[in-house]
Amino acid sequence: MQAIILFGVLISTYLMVIAKRSTSLIRAFRYQSFCLFLATLIIAFNEKQLDLYIVAGLLFVIKVLAIPRYLYRFLNKIKANEDLGLFINTQLSLLFALGFTYLAWVFARRLIVSDYALAAIVPAAAFFMVLIGIFLMIFRMTALAQIIGLLAAENGLFLLASTVSGGMPFFVEIAIFFDVFVSVIIMGFFIYRINKLFTHIDVNKLSRLRG
Amino acid sequence: MGSLNFTLLFDPLCLFFLFVICVVSLPAAIYSFSYLKGEYSSAKITLAAILLAVFIFSMLMVVTVSNVLFFLVAWEIMSLVSYFLVVFDTTHERSVKAGMIYIVMTHIGTAFLIAAFMIMYKYAGSFDFLAIKNACQAMPGGAKNIVFLLLLVGFGTKAGLVPLHIWLPYAHPQAPSHISSIMSGVMIKTAVYGIIRFVIFILGVHSGWWGALLLVTAVISSLVGIIYALMERDIKRLLAYSSVENMGIIFMGVGLGMFFINKNLPYLAVFSLAAGLYHLVNHAIFKGLLFLGAGCVYKAAGTRDIEKLGGLIKKMPQTAFLFLIGAMSISALPPFNGFVSEWLTLQGFFLGAHNVVGGTKLFLGICAALLALTGGLAAACFVKAFGVTFLALPRSRYAEEAREVSLAMRIPMFFLAALTLVFGLAASLILRLLVKVAGSASGIDISGMSFSLNNFVLSPQMGKSVYLSTPQLALVLAVLGSAGFIIYRLFAAKRDAAVSKTWDCGYYKLTSRNEYTATAFSKPFRIAFSFFLLPYRKTQKIRESFYHVKSFAYETHTTKVFKKYIYDPVLALVFKSAKSMRRIQPGSIHLYLAYIFITLLLLIIFMPKF
Repeated sequence: MQAIILFGVLISTYLMVIAKRSTSLIRAFRYQSFCLFLATLIIAFNEKQLDLYIVAGLLFVIKVLAIPRYLYRFLNKIKANEDLGLFINTQLSLLFALGFTYLAWVFARRLIVSDYALAAIVPAAAFFMVLIGIFLMIFRMTALAQIIGLLAAENGLFLLASTVSGGMPFFVEIAIFFDVFVSVIIMGFFIYRINKLFTHIDVNKLSRLRG
Repeated sequence: MGSLNFTLLFDPLCLFFLFVICVVSLPAAIYSFSYLKGEYSSAKITLAAILLAVFIFSMLMVVTVSNVLFFLVAWEIMSLVSYFLVVFDTTHERSVKAGMIYIVMTHIGTAFLIAAFMIMYKYAGSFDFLAIKNACQAMPGGAKNIVFLLLLVGFGTKAGLVPLHIWLPYAHPQAPSHISSIMSGVMIKTAVYGIIRFVIFILGVHSGWWGALLLVTAVISSLVGIIYALMERDIKRLLAYSSVENMGIIFMGVGLGMFFINKNLPYLAVFSLAAGLYHLVNHAIFKGLLFLGAGCVYKAAGTRDIEKLGGLIKKMPQTAFLFLIGAMSISALPPFNGFVSEWLTLQGFFLGAHNVVGGTKLFLGICAALLALTGGLAAACFVKAFGVTFLALPRSRYAEEAREVSLAMRIPMFFLAALTLVFGLAASLILRLLVKVAGSASGIDISGMSFSLNNFVLSPQMGKSVYLSTPQLALVLAVLGSAGFIIYRLFAAKRDAAVSKTWDCGYYKLTSRNEYTATAFSKPFRIAFSFFLLPYRKTQKIRESFYHVKSFAYETHTTKVFKKYIYDPVLALVFKSAKSMRRIQPGSIHLYLAYIFITLLLLIIFMPKF
């Protein structure tokens, strides 16, 4: 069961890498969050803890429902160009992503000292998500991609925390959720302002502002 | 970490510097009230008074604390407050620029000081002066040399030793005049305190080249300072350059003292050090007086450019008289105080040359000759400063409209002028006190030494044939002068003097533009020192036709050698490297993220290596 969910995480992350348009990127992010929700649910089921059920529920409400919906509505409102603006085309990005998968695996193997090789597989997936998150922030031009990249990296950290240490303390978890939600709203607001001021949300062009 | 006790030190060296600070600061403070009145708003005058108080207080702290850490704190407060005072006149672009140069240079100096103190702390494990002094005895020679060089650069920056003098001619003239007098008269002297306290008292003179290096730097400083002063036409900047020269003379005394300590000639060491200290207090007095006088001229005429002044002796006779006393004193004319200390310094050189052998004799002889040259040039410089400013006819409306300044501004100057005379006449008594200061600072026992015959006659060289008695000299001058005057009145008064216009070849249109200018006065020196000043001229003719020149412009400049060949290349290098650093900062968010990402990847890949 866990293997299938991890497979889902990987696939959804690859989908984020090959997304060319904003909507498909948000959709891929939604899939990723959903897989994460399932993974958390299974852990909660195994450990039979109420805290983890609540965390999973929050994950579903905020990352699967609220944030993507907010971003969709937001995209409609600013009527920005659908195009994400690729520095590296999708094929090459995918190749990079495969390389990162291997790197994350090697890194996790080094980090998790265990005879049982599969013990490292969840941390590897988590590292992979973080790497891809940053990768998206760098190689996609629009500010939206940067929000999603940050969220993807955050997802990776969440997965790492919930598997390696059996989850963070309950209140910390909840605080992080609210932080993420609020930060998305604030970043959205900023993008709105940027778009209004410069009629685009291309971060690459913002470098002209420097003195 | 050693214990940090805030204790103050009151040994003879400290007391001497406390005296110097007070004797210049108090007249300057009194002067400041009427000087600032009418120039600035009342809020700004209050601010100036507060800054002045903090400034004086910080200088007092610098010379009395007994702990390296507190010394640095007081030193920094002094530098910062003086920076605020330099940029006090914020309406002028030049003030801001001068302040910038000043604060950069002073912080470079402080950085060197901190480095030196850190090395000292490493050996002593304490910040206390006495603990460091004890620990320095066990310090290896190489470390001592490094500490000395660091201290020399650090204090040399504050003292304005060449080539670190670059800030001084910008910062001192730009401050209000009473601040200039304190900065030039006292603040830069704290560097001398630092050298005596940290090199001679704490570190102990380790090798012979320390004194020689200081001596060479001092000689170069005094020559360069006075040559630049001769070229200057801004009166306050002229005085600032002259401060560079006088700091050179003071450091000649200190350097000679260090030189003799190493040569194991205790009598001469104490004598030379005392000569340096004597010139220090003298310079504080007459440079304070001259800057206050320049402030009066600026207040009355509204310009500091001496080419636009002239004839002020008739408009403001008392100021002119006081300025003349300062000028005579700084030119080392008897019976004023400048003469005594320069004479003592020269005696230090001569006596030293008697007591050493070989090339060192020649070295000291050359130094003495250059000191004499400096004295001559200083006299020429102040003939120019006084003559062009106060004599002849007014050269511009500024000078024509000048009026004598208020009494409250003249009284502090009278006080300082009287002191120049007192310090000249009471030389023998004062030297006795200074010898005690020098003895305690250098740790040499002075109980068996004698430097004067009685209260009136100075006698270095231990009873040999060299004597100086300033009161007798003053008496002789007075008698000869009045005799000459009486003879003149007896024989010349009967003649009728015909008053008429100056003959001008029948041109009949002599104006103030036909007067001798400061630039013209200094031209022979510009030619004599052209190998160093590198003068150049710009001419521009505007012609109507080939035969008729409509206007002709002629400018002459000197090259600022140190700025052009030392500071400009360094600055260019800094800017160039800053520009290449800018290339990795293009302002692209993606690139900045990429830096982080690449670092992360490299860390992951090379993790086993760490």
